[in-house]
Amino acid sequence: MSYLNNHAVVMDNGTGLTKLGFAGNDSPSWIFPTAIATAQPSNSSGKSTGGGNTSSQSQANTSSGVIGSYFGNSTSATSFNNFASSLLLSNNLAGKRGTEDLDFYIGNEALTAAQGPAYSLSYPIKHGQVENWNHMERFWENSIFKYLRTEPEDHFFLLTEPPLNPPENREQVAEIFFESFNCAGLYIAVQAVLALAASWTSSKVTDRSLTGTVIDSGDGVTHVIPVAEGYVIGSAIKNIPIAGRDITLFIQSLLRERGEVDTSLKTAERIKQEYCYVCPDIVKEFNKFDRDVGKFSQFIIENQGKTQKKIVDVGYERFLAPEIFFNPEIASSDFLTPLPTIVDHTIQACPIDVRKGLYSNIVLSGGSTMFKDFGRRLQRDLRSIVNDRIAQSELLSGTKSTGVDVQVISHRRQRNAVWFGGSLLAQTAEFKSYCHTKRDYEEYGPEIVRNFSLFNML
Amino acid sequence: MPAYHSTFLEDNERMVGNFVLLPLNTKFRGPAYQANSDYDIIDECLDLFRANSFFKNFEIRSAADRVLIYGILFINRCLSQLKGGMGYVEALKQIQGVAVEDFTLPGTVGFPLNSVYSMPVGDVGQMEMLKGYLQQFRQELGMRLLERVYADSREQPSKFWLAFTRRKFMNKSL
Repeated sequence: MSYLNNHAVVMDNGTGLTKLGFAGNDSPSWIFPTAIATAQPSNSSGKSTGGGNTSSQSQANTSSGVIGSYFGNSTSATSFNNFASSLLLSNNLAGKRGTEDLDFYIGNEALTAAQGPAYSLSYPIKHGQVENWNHMERFWENSIFKYLRTEPEDHFFLLTEPPLNPPENREQVAEIFFESFNCAGLYIAVQAVLALAASWTSSKVTDRSLTGTVIDSGDGVTHVIPVAEGYVIGSAIKNIPIAGRDITLFIQSLLRERGEVDTSLKTAERIKQEYCYVCPDIVKEFNKFDRDVGKFSQFIIENQGKTQKKIVDVGYERFLAPEIFFNPEIASSDFLTPLPTIVDHTIQACPIDVRKGLYSNIVLSGGSTMFKDFGRRLQRDLRSIVNDRIAQSELLSGTKSTGVDVQVISHRRQRNAVWFGGSLLAQTAEFKSYCHTKRDYEEYGPEIVRNFSLFNML
Repeated sequence: MPAYHSTFLEDNERMVGNFVLLPLNTKFRGPAYQANSDYDIIDECLDLFRANSFFKNFEIRSAADRVLIYGILFINRCLSQLKGGMGYVEALKQIQGVAVEDFTLPGTVGFPLNSVYSMPVGDVGQMEMLKGYLQQFRQELGMRLLERVYADSREQPSKFWLAFTRRKFMNKSL
């Protein structure tokens, strides 16, 4: 019964990045791409050329511990393939599959391994949902045994899912976690709800309610998700095809127009992370740059030996890049609606009696909301949309409105808000009583995970 | 937030077709009246040029917006004449050449944005006045543009300005 005292494991598997760690921590212990590199099905050319690449990998692995080698990660590709081909001769299909299953890498190691010809890379999660369960199971396996290095039967697990995830997917997760891993207990939480919980650390939040609008912007897509008392209002969710990657590409195009010495995506991404901010008005900001030369910066790239230096000037992209959320027209020609307008439409599509709560608690989550003053600009633009509407309705009806409070919450844990929210919830004493345990699963079957009781935290 | 518009009002101003001859602060000779305030339409064009260059759609709200469009397109034309490493004196010669070259008037054949300009093409006197005004407008705008582009160094143009050469406001160029 050691699981009663152990910290729960919190896993947030996103489309781009996976966040792993233990409940009660401030930040995830591991963040790596949700990628898996699997051995190409007995490829004879891969045998000879792949050896060089993967043997260096295996060296790195032997130092990383016993568990890794137990799971076949440090088996060098050459010896493995010999083994596999001898099995091929005996025509034992099951035996052949058994070993291939063990030959894979996840995360950053997968990206490295996939550069050689012996492995093929795949991303098991697409648009937030698991697409390839076989790969996902192996991904989890490595996450638990190689990264977290825990025994699943000693821990409760908190997993996350996107809004509108079909219940069948939850059952599938439960089958894998209870049957393959034999975990002690499981809770599956909706990402947006966890992001709301993470905002409770902000000083602006007075009551810890689970009502609010979550703006979740990662690398691929930006979601606007309304949550009322812990339940996602699925019909009102809106997606915006503008997120981190588009900002990076826009910076790259600006650098190219100026003919900078280095216009790689990596440089553009570093500039995005280190120099960009949101300004109140772009014309005024251009003039500020004219008056104050100090606003221009330089980004210096040194090569590994520090023998060569490349200097990339950083100019207007500092404020123009995040501007594409508020003025999509400057970067794209097919999507033209600004983020504040989308948020307003989302809330207007919700039942009227939760709208006030949704306007007064707009929570940011994800790396692409980290720009300085992002929240302030969103709040200002949204407030002006709302006030215009109120003025109009006052004019038409002749009555006085009590007004709508628009508040955008931005806080320090924004980048990994979903994981952090999970960590907060899973460290409470009550958490384990909300989970479904291995015993429940054996008693009722996978369909018990279709429902989880909501957290009501005080 | 859409593209930025001109803040000038066209009350009591002289019009040619739907193009307003706003007063200018200039020493170049021509039909324009002297502006009363320090800030004229040319300053506005220069201020809005960089922001508006990113927009492909522009809704015309006033006659002054038409002057603004012309100004922004002309700035783009000037910048395309400048090369990295070109000194101020040489650039000035180039730009003044562009400003006084034989240009097509709005409303006449060959002008790229004739859908937004409706001009009394038959009225020779009016068209002469427009030509004179635009001549003056182009010269003054070119001068002041160079002041901004060469603000940091007289030796070479600012690369941050030159980067806008490839942006096409409303997908058009003069």
